Amino acid sequence: MKTGIVIFAHNSRKVDYSLMSLISGGLAKKHLKISVSLITDQSTVEWINKSQSMQKFNNVFENIILTDRPSAENYRNLNDGELVDNVPFVNGNRSSVWHLTPYDKTLLIDSDYFIFSERLKPYIESDHDIMISSAMNDLGENRAGTLDKYVSDTGPNLYWATNVIFKKNKNSKIFFDLVDFIKDNYYYYAELFRFYPKPYRNDIAFSIAKHILDGFSLDLEGSLPPISTTIDRDILVEVSDKGRLKFLMNQGSDYVAMSIENTDIHVMNKQSIIRHKESLLELI
Amino acid sequence: MKFGYLLITSNKGEIDYNKLAYALALSIKNTQKQGFDQVCLITDNLDSTKNFKSPWVFDQIIENKEYQGWDARSHMDQLTPFDYTVCLDVDMLFLNDCSHWVEYFIKNNNLFIANNAITYRNEIISEDYYRKTFTANGLPNLYSFYTFFKKESAEVIEFFNLQRSIFSNPIEFSNLFLTNHKPKVLGTDEAFSLASKILGHDNFNLDFPKIVHMKGQVQNWPWPADEWTDHVGFYFNKQGLKIGNFQQRDLVHYVNKNIITDEIISILEETAWKK
Repeated sequence: MKTGIVIFAHNSRKVDYSLMSLISGGLAKKHLKISVSLITDQSTVEWINKSQSMQKFNNVFENIILTDRPSAENYRNLNDGELVDNVPFVNGNRSSVWHLTPYDKTLLIDSDYFIFSERLKPYIESDHDIMISSAMNDLGENRAGTLDKYVSDTGPNLYWATNVIFKKNKNSKIFFDLVDFIKDNYYYYAELFRFYPKPYRNDIAFSIAKHILDGFSLDLEGSLPPISTTIDRDILVEVSDKGRLKFLMNQGSDYVAMSIENTDIHVMNKQSIIRHKESLLELI
Repeated sequence: MKFGYLLITSNKGEIDYNKLAYALALSIKNTQKQGFDQVCLITDNLDSTKNFKSPWVFDQIIENKEYQGWDARSHMDQLTPFDYTVCLDVDMLFLNDCSHWVEYFIKNNNLFIANNAITYRNEIISEDYYRKTFTANGLPNLYSFYTFFKKESAEVIEFFNLQRSIFSNPIEFSNLFLTNHKPKVLGTDEAFSLASKILGHDNFNLDFPKIVHMKGQVQNWPWPADEWTDHVGFYFNKQGLKIGNFQQRDLVHYVNKNIITDEIISILEETAWKK
């Protein structure tokens, strides 16, 4: 059985997802010691070539798989500390991973998820058909709200598609087909589960699919551990050569210093990743 | 050995508690296995039971004029006709076979009072909005809506005697034991929990039964909710019960007494007739 990691990256005019996937893929490969493949589109590959970094991509990724670029209708506000920009999120094709993955068992991670430990290894080796992170663990203090925990105020648990592990089989296909169906009928499910339908969120589509396939109930068995997360209002300020990440964490009107090491982390402030690309790439 | 469910009603106000007990009895007959599906109704109003289409779901109906209101429930050990009893609040519905709980209690306990309540989303209720007295005074978090006991065991006699004493002397017991937060009304849950604390019962910490407890303020919603039915739907059909987007299992304490409509009774009756 071939096991590997898959990362999606579709560049937008404002965010270089390919660069983030290079960092994310390199760190994941280094710490989990398994192959990594990139799923991307032609225009993103053209950008990689233009920036003369294809060699680095070839060093990190076992495969660079081309797929159609999903539509960029999905806009949302993205903070960089206190600055806000309305940016396109080109990520509506995550459910196609079942068809596109070259592996029998796949760990799907977001391009802004950085692996610094072997924590996910026993989960990759376990026998479940599909596993998703059951929660996010905000590294700031008292910031997580109801909608970080639930799909809606009265709705099901919100799982985080930042980490998904699945075996390529009939059961996982049913899951991803259902995610696709939910995506295609997103407004209907928004009415049914009472969430705001804009923008489309993979986390919500994955959560509803899991909720339905679990028999419309909460079943945390086989869940991946919570995602340690810094939000986009937090600022990555330093990356040491030992891999210690220092952040300024937004606490209302104040910022508080925090550092972290040897811990897998979801860094939502994408621009602050880009600002530290050299030191992050040194770590891979 | 004779086991049965005991339902106690007092029909003084506008709510027809016998109708709720009838729905619960139907759900017991529909879901519990043979030998674990006996039901006895203790009521102060026999008249309203005469209109039920299937009165046979009550294996016994006993008229009780002696004890009224909550007071009747504090005499459950004396009123029961069974050797082993689970006394339930009547605003509950069984959705699956839970006989294995009873089998465990018969084997291991003389007395067991539920201590696990969950939301309709299957999360353990830790919010103490309705239970400040319990938290402030260190009372065990017991729910009398599911109480198992073996008739005439020494432990049970001692417990219910003390509980009745608490119930009859609420001011004295509050002044002595509940000084950190006195309840406005010392109800059955408070009396059971205080009696349990005084007697040093420490065998109620099981992971089951987990009972869905539909009080509005403890559903982990980000807003105040007096009536949970203002916020999520109650969808009952022959396939089961959904509350909001959640399939319900085992046992639901629905609290809102208006939920049991004639249509729901009809569905329960039809299932019972076809069983």
